[in-house]
Amino acid sequence: MVNAFAYVPAIVLLPFFSFLVALGAGRYLPKGGAFGGIAATAGSFLLSVWVAATVAGGRAYDETLYYWASEGGAGIGPTDIELTFGVLIDPLSALMLVIVTLVALLVHVFSLGYMNDEGETGLPRYYAGLGLFTASMLGFVVADNLLMAFMFFELVGLCSYLLIGFHFREPGPPSAAKKAFLVTRFGDYFFLVGVVAVFATFGTAQFAGPESFPALADAALNGSGSVAWTPGGLDLGTWLTVVGLLVLGGVVGKSAQFPLHTWLPDAMEGPTPVSALIHAATMVAAGVYLVARMYGFYVLTPTTMAVIAFVGGFTALFAATMGVVKDELKQVLAYSTISQYGYMMLALGAGGYVAAVFHLTTHAFFKALLFLGAGSVIIAMHHNEDMWDMGGLKSKMPVTYYTFLAGSLALAGIFPFAGFWSKDEILYEALVHGLNDPLLLGGYLMGLLAVPVTAFYTFRMVFLTFHGEPRSDTARDPESVRWNVKGPLTVLGSLAVVTGLINMVPVQKVLGLEGIDLLHRWLDNEWGGIEGLSSHHYADIGPYSSAYLVGGEVGTVLVGAAVSLGLALLGLGLAWRLYNVPSPTEHTAKLGGIKDVLYNNYYLDELQVWLAYRTEDVAGGANTFDQGIIDGVVNGVSSVSLTGGGRIRKLQSGVVSQYAALLTFGLVALLLVLGATGGWFL
Amino acid sequence: MVNGLPAVTALLPALILAFTGLALLLVDTVRPDARSNTSMAVVGAFGSLAALAATVWLTASGGVSPDGGAVLLFADAIKVDTLALFFTAIFASVTALVLVAAHDYFHDHANPAAFYSLVTFAATGMALLAVANSLAVVFVALEMVSLPSYVLVAYLKQDRGSVEAGMKYFLVGALSSAIFLFGISLVYAATGSLILADIASASIEGLAGVLGVGVVMMIGGVAFKTASVPFHFWAPEAYEGAPAPVSAFLSSASKAAGFVVAFRVFTEAFPLEMAVSANVDWMLAFAILAAVTMTLGNFAAAVQEEVKRMLAYSSIGHAGYALIGVAALTVDGPANGTVMGAAMAHLLVYGFMNTGAFLFVAMAERWGVGRTFEDYAGLARRAPVASTAMAVFMFSLAGLPPFAGFFSKYFLFQAAIDNGFLWLAGLGAINSVVSLYYYSRVVKALWLDDPESSSALDAIDVRPTALYAAVIFAAVATVLLLPGFGPVIETAEAAASALF
Repeated sequence: MVNAFAYVPAIVLLPFFSFLVALGAGRYLPKGGAFGGIAATAGSFLLSVWVAATVAGGRAYDETLYYWASEGGAGIGPTDIELTFGVLIDPLSALMLVIVTLVALLVHVFSLGYMNDEGETGLPRYYAGLGLFTASMLGFVVADNLLMAFMFFELVGLCSYLLIGFHFREPGPPSAAKKAFLVTRFGDYFFLVGVVAVFATFGTAQFAGPESFPALADAALNGSGSVAWTPGGLDLGTWLTVVGLLVLGGVVGKSAQFPLHTWLPDAMEGPTPVSALIHAATMVAAGVYLVARMYGFYVLTPTTMAVIAFVGGFTALFAATMGVVKDELKQVLAYSTISQYGYMMLALGAGGYVAAVFHLTTHAFFKALLFLGAGSVIIAMHHNEDMWDMGGLKSKMPVTYYTFLAGSLALAGIFPFAGFWSKDEILYEALVHGLNDPLLLGGYLMGLLAVPVTAFYTFRMVFLTFHGEPRSDTARDPESVRWNVKGPLTVLGSLAVVTGLINMVPVQKVLGLEGIDLLHRWLDNEWGGIEGLSSHHYADIGPYSSAYLVGGEVGTVLVGAAVSLGLALLGLGLAWRLYNVPSPTEHTAKLGGIKDVLYNNYYLDELQVWLAYRTEDVAGGANTFDQGIIDGVVNGVSSVSLTGGGRIRKLQSGVVSQYAALLTFGLVALLLVLGATGGWFL
Repeated sequence: MVNGLPAVTALLPALILAFTGLALLLVDTVRPDARSNTSMAVVGAFGSLAALAATVWLTASGGVSPDGGAVLLFADAIKVDTLALFFTAIFASVTALVLVAAHDYFHDHANPAAFYSLVTFAATGMALLAVANSLAVVFVALEMVSLPSYVLVAYLKQDRGSVEAGMKYFLVGALSSAIFLFGISLVYAATGSLILADIASASIEGLAGVLGVGVVMMIGGVAFKTASVPFHFWAPEAYEGAPAPVSAFLSSASKAAGFVVAFRVFTEAFPLEMAVSANVDWMLAFAILAAVTMTLGNFAAAVQEEVKRMLAYSSIGHAGYALIGVAALTVDGPANGTVMGAAMAHLLVYGFMNTGAFLFVAMAERWGVGRTFEDYAGLARRAPVASTAMAVFMFSLAGLPPFAGFFSKYFLFQAAIDNGFLWLAGLGAINSVVSLYYYSRVVKALWLDDPESSSALDAIDVRPTALYAAVIFAAVATVLLLPGFGPVIETAEAAASALF
């Protein structure tokens, strides 16, 4: 039998080749190399499906492919460390491979409509960027150790920089690209230190297997093993918490969690298909995926879990409130992304591993759908993104409307669309685990509060864009879009409706139907997987216990679902009342002073700029120190050395007899020193 | 190992060099009209490359001795082991580079033929020095290196600087040789033998003082050859006055020849245990020399105005680094073999980067652009390839990654720390920082500074092919030694560990 796992590297390499082809020969190819990218991602997608099917057939794969430093672990650092590239295929990565390749494929197809048909220049650069972006993310997904993950994580960051700044001749995009790069890099510093800390602590950064760092950490905490190193007698649990938080720094940056979320709205300057790729499947997803990947490590440290949950819940609510007042289509979507990833973090922090992966999956589809739908609208509106210039597009572009509506319903969490199921499960997990844990309960309440806000801004967006009377000439006569836009929208629209079916846990619990929680069983290695990487294992070693409201488990499920659905409908209803009118008006003035705060994103950008300036002040102090003291010493040393050198130069007089004399004196001095220490003259 | 060959085959590299020198001399004497600069250079270069090939073959095949170990010849007066072969490889490589480069340097010299035979004879002496197992052979071989060197320094006999430098070199050399020979006689008086192993096993009851004075005097002889303080006075002037290829030869190969004496004679004739028990602490003497030499060399190099003189002092500084290899040794030290092996590897790397740097100076002299840093300003605009090579040499000499000089220095300092000589490694690190200043001055002049006048670069009117080839080969070797550093350091450490 042909082994599907042998082709895993090809999944990563195919988009990489398309990158090379587009970069090297893109300008000679039709469509600027788009077809190469489509073929490559389609190939990767098919291979990924095959790999997923193989995993479903009961197998998994964890193999080191290449030692790039010290095979056998010859002497790096305090412990013997091997630096490797490898592939880890388990249910989680197989699922993620399918998601990433599918979204990447659809984004490539959509780009034909968004970029080629719109006559953009620099297309080879664009498709090269997309190819490398996809390849980096796929490499990250299959990474079998933390260092390899970090390297591809950085590549993802680099590609996002290149693509966000695609229109580099305009003022906005380069600045946004720099911001995205710098802010995520700030988080990545911590991640890098965390990687080094993991290596120093465990001597390995493997994700899976009995010698992996989560397994070693578990053993060490149980007392049945030990770690190679902890700094300065620090308690092991504390140190692991520190390490977990360090790695979390990278996650917070990439997944745009508070307070490092500020880059993401600006990143909307990039071409819309790139935004879809960034938000649905690649960059932002990378952070959450990383936590899921090393979840076996995070569940060992309750403090980290609580931090993740609280940050996630806070981000979910916080970003949602900012989405309420935005005027531009993509801005609303940007804040919704931050908010939704907040949910995923909440789920992870609350011990809802499956819920987080579930939401990651559904979100990937409906958020890609919404962005591509927004792209379609933007094409129609001749690149005007202001929702107040739209309206009434419903009848002009029905495919876009109905698919966008499906995505919006999923985002708002309306039954029975995909987002409802995943969000409901997150809130359920947070609730049952949070009843014993106040911090977690706080996260849950914030997540719950974000539900109506989400529904409100989502439908505010839908109504302003598609309903009512057209409010501008372009909206009255929008440009039509072609198959290459409608095709991806249709695929994603269908997925947004049905993806929820893969994990009908509430239905199972209420009706007692066994076997319809497919994702639970998938991630629990029911078909195939790797020991120690199952949701069951995580639950076993996790810190949480469950508690229920009235009516036990079923009652809690019903109450939770009813409350969140009710709140979502409340938000939807409010949006309906305010904005589903022929000519809606701005209601933001009613918010009073809050409006300015929301418009200005809680002044967080200003805060960061202020912090940057304060950092500059500190740097100024350091500079003074450096100039005065360090440079003083250096200058002192150099002037001493120059003076000393001058003296030596005088010694070299050019007179041989002096040389002979100095030489002899030198020898005699040496003789005396050695003779004195050796006692020869006694 | 290779069976069925006579033991004397182990001397093949030295023999090839000797016969090459003789052949060059013969042609020059018998058929003066038939000689030409080109044919001489080609024969010389092929001879040294053949010697290099023989060395590599002997090293790789495990030598000619039945058990793969050292070969002892002529009543133990000669000992061919991996250490000897390692150094012979350095000598042969540098000789080949210098001979190739000399072809262009002496293109208008009236009588270039003698140059090639003198260099080859000096190289023969070095190869002999590497295998010397008796103090008598050491002295003879040392003189065989020194005498052609004096002539080579004074080779431009119309040039006052060259002649004066040769004279001074000869006078200081004569004094040093006398000291060295006196030292040997005292050692003989104390131990009654000249064979290194017999010296080590001799009883020195009551004669430790005599032995000690002899050992210190021998250190003087080594210090002269390696241009270490206080026997360094000849070096700046000889290097500056000599034709640049000769400077390259002296500062790379001849210096390494001095070190092979230090590495072999002191560890074999005066083993560490004996040195400590008899209170003849030559390691301490070398530690003092190393500290003073590297500091003086680097600090003096920092204030030079002329590139060639700067390189001369930097060469003294590098002698200080390499001396760590015989200084940072302790009885039963965990890293004795490692530190000496690292010093050997440093000398190999240094052989390429320093030779290359001097050959670049030779090229500048060939162009006639002048000698100071200012004169080098903007050369990269006309000669980007050679300037790139020079930048590689400078950064590698300074010990910056990713060049080979970084690794060799890193291993050296690390091994010194492992052996408990943190102060020596620390001093070396400080000196490396100082050295970065003056090395980067050259790179800055070449690449960043503007030429003094628009016509200043017009001097570059020829492309000396052979010089270019030698410089670029040295640069490539400097870069390639980084990935190839593993086998080099392993061979060197194995060779050095065999001494303890």
